[in-house]
Amino acid sequence: MNTQRWQRPARRRAEFGMTLMVLLLTGCLYVLSNLGRAGALPADIVPFLVLVFALMLVAHLSLRHLAPQADPVLLPLAALLNGTGYVFIARLDNTEASAQATWTAIGVVAFVTTLALFPRAANLERYRYSIALAGIILLLLPLAPHIGEDINGARLWVHLGPLNFQPEEFAKIALAVFFSSVLAERADLLATGTRRIGRWLVLEPRYLAPLIAAWALSLLVLLAENDLGSSFLFFTLFVGLLWVATGRWAYLVLGTGLFTVGAVFALDVIHHAQTRVQAWLDPWAHFATSGYQIIEGWFALAAGGLWGVGPGQGNPQVIPESSTDFIFASIGEEIGLVGVTALLIAYLLMMGSGLRVAVRSQRSFSKLLATGLSLLLVVQVFVVVGGITRLIPITGITLPFVSYGGSSLVSNYMLLAILLRISDDNANEQALAGSRPAGLTAAAGEADRFAATAVIEVVGQ
Amino acid sequence: MRATNQRVRLAGLGACLLMIIVFAQLNYLQIFHANALDNNPLNTRNILEQYAQPRGAIISADGVTLAQSVLSKDQYKYQRQYPEGALFGQITGYFSFTYGTDGLEDEYNSVLTKTSAPVLPTDLKQIRNFFTNQPAPDNMNVTALTSLQQLAARELAGRDGAVVAIDPKTGAVLAMYSNPSYDPSPLASHDQTVEQEAWKALDANPGRPLLAAAYRQRFFPGSTFKVITAAAVYDHQPALASRYFPYSTGLVLPDTAGQVMHNFAGEACGGTMTQLFTVSCDTGFAQLGLDVGGTNLAAEAKQWGWGTTTPLDLPGVAQSSFPPASTFTRNGGALAKSAIGQESVQAVPLTLALDAAGVANRGVIMTPHLLESVTGSQGQTVMTYTPKPWLTATSPATASKLTQLMVSVVNSPDGTGVEARIPGIEVAGKTGTAQTGGPDIETWFIAFAPVAHPAIAVAVLVENQPPADEYQGGTVAAPIAKAMIESYLEMKGKSAP
Repeated sequence: MNTQRWQRPARRRAEFGMTLMVLLLTGCLYVLSNLGRAGALPADIVPFLVLVFALMLVAHLSLRHLAPQADPVLLPLAALLNGTGYVFIARLDNTEASAQATWTAIGVVAFVTTLALFPRAANLERYRYSIALAGIILLLLPLAPHIGEDINGARLWVHLGPLNFQPEEFAKIALAVFFSSVLAERADLLATGTRRIGRWLVLEPRYLAPLIAAWALSLLVLLAENDLGSSFLFFTLFVGLLWVATGRWAYLVLGTGLFTVGAVFALDVIHHAQTRVQAWLDPWAHFATSGYQIIEGWFALAAGGLWGVGPGQGNPQVIPESSTDFIFASIGEEIGLVGVTALLIAYLLMMGSGLRVAVRSQRSFSKLLATGLSLLLVVQVFVVVGGITRLIPITGITLPFVSYGGSSLVSNYMLLAILLRISDDNANEQALAGSRPAGLTAAAGEADRFAATAVIEVVGQ
Repeated sequence: MRATNQRVRLAGLGACLLMIIVFAQLNYLQIFHANALDNNPLNTRNILEQYAQPRGAIISADGVTLAQSVLSKDQYKYQRQYPEGALFGQITGYFSFTYGTDGLEDEYNSVLTKTSAPVLPTDLKQIRNFFTNQPAPDNMNVTALTSLQQLAARELAGRDGAVVAIDPKTGAVLAMYSNPSYDPSPLASHDQTVEQEAWKALDANPGRPLLAAAYRQRFFPGSTFKVITAAAVYDHQPALASRYFPYSTGLVLPDTAGQVMHNFAGEACGGTMTQLFTVSCDTGFAQLGLDVGGTNLAAEAKQWGWGTTTPLDLPGVAQSSFPPASTFTRNGGALAKSAIGQESVQAVPLTLALDAAGVANRGVIMTPHLLESVTGSQGQTVMTYTPKPWLTATSPATASKLTQLMVSVVNSPDGTGVEARIPGIEVAGKTGTAQTGGPDIETWFIAFAPVAHPAIAVAVLVENQPPADEYQGGTVAAPIAKAMIESYLEMKGKSAP
């Protein structure tokens, strides 16, 4: 118990220290951006710093009370990404900036609420069917008449009174919870075939049924809503978790095959997807239309070069969707390859911390959920940046924590809260499992294999 | 558990791999494509870049901002502004997205876009210079005075014409205004429609505002050219200066079929050159021209800057022209008319101002210039213009004799320039009234003062005047020159210790 008492403030102290560094970094970036753009200190620098600090402090203090042993790295990383994104949004559009500030506040509230509502990750597991149902309803909402709306060819938006949001951002978390819980329960059943068909041992279909149903439904809905990016995201999540849970490579192969078939089918049916693929294959031939955005994105990245043209001094406003889908290119123009690489590293560190949480977890559900959520972050970054750099067709999803957009920000803060909840659980469970310092050390040693952990521990001490 | 953890790590590695692919692709873009992308004609950033840089300010000698770059809210970042509008439009020129640059904006583009190092930040605004290569461009100060420019515009009172004032000792252009002028602001608009509309309107204007009358258009100099003819007499045939020419109302022109040149309003005039000059006797000066000869007259005109592009620091300066000596062979009529500034003699108002300045400056015409100095963004002087002579038009002796002639024009009771008299200040001047071939006439006055220590030389042109007695160089243009001289000397007197 001695260890625990010592460890408890240390982790939060480290978090607080890193939070201050993030505050400094974000503040400097904000000032530079304004100096670059207007040649003056931002008029609202003091309220800005106070607000950022207050929001971080609320999140930090709530962790001290609600999840004192949670990982210290995740929150500062999220704050760094959120802050960087805000600076660039503020530089592009004032109205969006104030909205984004409000959404950040709501995101922090959602973060605290999630932590408070689920004192243990197991609580999530208990409500898995309700959560799955909520996820499906959320996915279906944009299709409902009157409240759903098409934007840029995809039907993603829901209007409820004054609220406009993209429900799929929340649905992805709900589905991750559901997949994880079902897979955790039935991993062994899914790993080995029990029914014999000819020479083959085949899986008992009924074990897979709820999964297949949820997956098929989500895919169908997404195709109906023309949201290819999210569709890919869900699919990766599903197949990835299935593989992690069972260890059957066949699932990966089968999943990839299924997705390819689905994608080819989608291409045939969905006009929206066709234009995007055309723009992907030859953007120059479609410069005036579908290729314009990607080429403007390249122009921005090329203008940025290695170090960028300087915060506030580029012309990212000429890129369509410069603050949402293409904010990565906007950032690349002004802080260069070095800056965007730092962003990518921040995501990798988040994923590393998330996977460390997964590895340390003693419970299958938590392990799978932490893995799923961590992978979601990075796969989403891959889909966005891969789209901008023409590795894959553009799909129009948001860069987590960075892009302008309330739904994305709030749902990602909830995702973060769940990861931290699992992390806190791990420490508690290890403590309960008896005072085994040797085991703790072993677990820590194991975790160190993930990127940058060592550095962060040093900061913590 | 252990096996699952292994797979979690593998999944993590897979995700790392995705990030590495993205990172590699970003590098590939930077290394192999960035250059081509930067230079792609579809890339609007090059143009945006040019417009995203602030340009230095142009500031008048009395500290008024004539052109400046201010932050704009649109994508071009900086908006070029011309607070004085049409008053200085033909001097500053414009910095236009569609139509390029003109005037000082063109001539001193490199100055206005250059940052003279080192720049140490003195206030917060400049801190960004440390973090970026954002230039803090140099500002240029010009010799022209807003007050004189305003006076010139006020005195012209909307009539087409030009006023050029020069410091004879340095060649500094103190004022240079012509009507019609134009406001460069709409040409610098970031709205292409505004630009194009403004350009179309300027193009359609018969007064051709983009061709400043003061330095880009030519006019018949009329009797103001008699200064050059008189100089030719002093320099080449000094004996003619004291010859007496009998009174006459007409001169039969040689080599013509009995064509007769008459004096203005059919007056009779005669006497020595001083008398001829004072009353601006056409028949007398035509005879002087014939006597001094085409070769001498053409050579003299060349010495006074005719036929040479004036090295004023503005683009598109027009040349004054005097016909080559060969045209006068067996064409005495042309010579006689040329000697009084008619026929095909063409003058840019700037040249006449410089010629007056040359007389004032003991025969040496200084290079005219608008640039006074260049200052860094923090006010430190980067360079100061050093006055240099352009032409030695004549000897100090001739200049002094010409001065006497010009003083007589203003001071003699029968002088044509009596309206330019200023109590307490001796003014030297010469009137001009030129037929244009059309119904209207052009009225001129060139002058400098004070005669003892000349501080200002002026050329005034008022176009399109009705051909009547009350619309002569002496009555229309002389008062404007007088006002310019008076105002400038008063200003100078105040500022002098």
